[in-house]
Amino acid sequence: MLEQFITGFGMALRLDTFMLMGAGLFGGMLVGALPGFTTLMAMAILLPISFFLEPIVGIPFLLGVYKGGIFGGSIPAILVSMPGTGAAVATSRDGYKLTQQGKSRKALDMALFSSVFGDMSSDIFTMLMIFPIAYLVMQFGPPELFAVLLLSLVIIAATSTQNPVKSLIMMLFGLWLSFIGTDPLGGVERFTFGIFDLKSGIPLLPMLIGVFAIPEIAGVVMRNEGARKLATLVGERLTFAEYRRCFKTICRSTVIGTGIGTIPGLGQVVAAMMGYSAAKNASDHPETFGEGELEGIAAAEAANNAVNGPTMVPLLTLGIPGDNVTAILLGAFVAQGLRPGPQLFEEQGATVFAILIAMVFANIMFLAIGYLSIPFFSRIVQIKTSVLIPIVIMFAFAGTFVFRSDNFDLLMLVAFGIFGLVAKAGKFDVMPMVMGFILGPPMEYAFGQTMAMGNGATLSFLFEERLGAIGVLIATPLIGLTLWRRMRAVVSG
Amino acid sequence: MFNFSLKKLAVSLGFAALMTPTLALAEYPEKPITMVIPFGAGGSHDLNSRVITSIIPTYLNQAMIVRLTPGAGGQKGTQEVANATADGYTLLFTHNYVDMLQQYVEDLPYDPLEDFIPIARVNYAPMGVVVRADSPYKSFEDLVEAATMDPGSVRMSHSGNWGAQFVPAAQIMRARGIHFNLVPYKGGGPAMQALLAGDAEVTMGFPSTLSGQIESGAIRVLATAGAERMYDDVPTFAEVGVEGDIGFMHRVLVAPKGTPQEAVDKLTEAFAALVEDTTFTRMMGRLNETVDLMDGESYQKLREEQAHAYEDLVKALTSQ
Repeated sequence: MLEQFITGFGMALRLDTFMLMGAGLFGGMLVGALPGFTTLMAMAILLPISFFLEPIVGIPFLLGVYKGGIFGGSIPAILVSMPGTGAAVATSRDGYKLTQQGKSRKALDMALFSSVFGDMSSDIFTMLMIFPIAYLVMQFGPPELFAVLLLSLVIIAATSTQNPVKSLIMMLFGLWLSFIGTDPLGGVERFTFGIFDLKSGIPLLPMLIGVFAIPEIAGVVMRNEGARKLATLVGERLTFAEYRRCFKTICRSTVIGTGIGTIPGLGQVVAAMMGYSAAKNASDHPETFGEGELEGIAAAEAANNAVNGPTMVPLLTLGIPGDNVTAILLGAFVAQGLRPGPQLFEEQGATVFAILIAMVFANIMFLAIGYLSIPFFSRIVQIKTSVLIPIVIMFAFAGTFVFRSDNFDLLMLVAFGIFGLVAKAGKFDVMPMVMGFILGPPMEYAFGQTMAMGNGATLSFLFEERLGAIGVLIATPLIGLTLWRRMRAVVSG
Repeated sequence: MFNFSLKKLAVSLGFAALMTPTLALAEYPEKPITMVIPFGAGGSHDLNSRVITSIIPTYLNQAMIVRLTPGAGGQKGTQEVANATADGYTLLFTHNYVDMLQQYVEDLPYDPLEDFIPIARVNYAPMGVVVRADSPYKSFEDLVEAATMDPGSVRMSHSGNWGAQFVPAAQIMRARGIHFNLVPYKGGGPAMQALLAGDAEVTMGFPSTLSGQIESGAIRVLATAGAERMYDDVPTFAEVGVEGDIGFMHRVLVAPKGTPQEAVDKLTEAFAALVEDTTFTRMMGRLNETVDLMDGESYQKLREEQAHAYEDLVKALTSQ
């Protein structure tokens, strides 16, 4: 093993690997920053290129696109409150507040540093613990997934706003919205009212842009700030003291994110929200979260990036991809004659380690690339709003349309924009709604699978075979209640 | 900001240029072709398509982009292509169950026979029934016996209701008069993971997703589809009393009806050249996939036969 590791280390040190990885990181960042263009799309498009490169060049190139893309998504989230993916939602709330306070540079720096730290720690951890993680992954089936998703929703509802009742209402509304469309298990249509476009459900992207970006755009327009700028300052760079203040949070989020990454089917959205909620709960000033708290960005970004390491494990050890991104990587591996699976380490151990080591180098490189491009990005907010706002609106609509070229999505964007404005006026937080909407379908699917596994005797099945899931289910209300009490104390005190 | 958007534009153009080795000609295809896959990531269609789309640009002078559009058991992606402009730029890479069986199970917003024409049957894959290596079921008959003794006690993970694993499972159950507890997963990958994790006692799979597991001794194959044995010591479906056209998945590329003949011809030509490409066959070989090209016209006949067979099957299953 050690021998393979050392050989792999030598293999990774190649100029062309680094050059293409750098290109991938930079390109991924730009694509990720454009709403509507997902990292996944960029990877799928670039996949064939990797087929004709050597494994140790082509796969790090794709990994670069992936890593760059995730950070790229936080750029519009921070600067114009336009999260393009669920994973950037938690970042956008404190990030945009910081932009308005003239601290966008600090916000972007914090996003970069905590992303890279979370990602790198989880990569190294994964490399060292790949086989234990592979074992752990196997312990999670549908019942556990359901229990953990339910727990996540309860934690989000209990900690997300200053009024847990309102956030619970919004979350239930989000869950209901996720039911619209064709039932994922039985294929029965629900709440579609015979409307053809609703059959495949409400799309996520228009909802995200609609409820997060449109109200902010409208706010600027309604305040008639045409001649002014979104923020007069972009502020100083992040100081080491600020980073150190958040370091505990970053570490906590990294652990949470890595843990969530080992559970197949959870992913970055849950990680970001759990990291954020945990930081808020641990903080002695939870009221500053959501009002421009650097720690909030650190918590969300470290957690959602820390997911990346462990999600590679089922791919590398079993040859089973857990999500779309790893499926694309599987394609890249296979076409190179590297068949991920149990024998991969025996036959191609050095190459696999070389790829994993390249992942670690990619993080270091990205630190430099990101740090140098942040001043350039952060200047966007200094454009006069009379110029910037029309451009942002264009990006909102174009991004929504480009995702799957569907006019129906534009209608949804407007509808959710109006909804977001109304919710804002009524001081309802839209985040729990979005989380309910995102986490509802996987939770429902896991529920249906659990029922099927139980074969008519679900409870006895759970008690006989799935005590872990039962434990989480029992603990859920207790955890929820504790967090609720704490948040209520903060609100009233 | 203007500089910024110009840069973005320049980069996206750069990407586009990377993808288009030769500049667009006035004839089809002038722009990248989208291959919609109505299934989730990591399944065999996904893997097959990655190989196809990496080689076929050589013969089309255009990129072919894979778009995974899972949902509603394949309906979502199929519907998307049915609604797409029939210009040859949106194709559907599907299989016989979604293509021909689903219409008898659900009200579809499209009519498969009326709305689609086949372009190419790329290959077909025989299905295998598999258990973990440490399973007490040493043979197919052990499995049948267990399912007979205690109906529903044998849990089988499959890739989704009325999907490529569900249908042969239902056909086996019908042929042998047994009952498995069928648990749906989001695709063949998660279904296999469920087997390995012990969440299911039996599942199905294709050689493309099984080779690694079989070689490493993680799983055992109990029976395979087809007239001939795939492994010397493993019986065929016919040998275990499951007769008929059961457990075959045809991977087929279809286009919306009304696609210009010029585009159909060009694609047919490209696929004919593709299967002669040694890089392609070598890559498919690495996936343990066969290459058995059948052109659209010949497959259309097969398709119509499938339609009749599935109609009978669904009638028999749902009338019980």
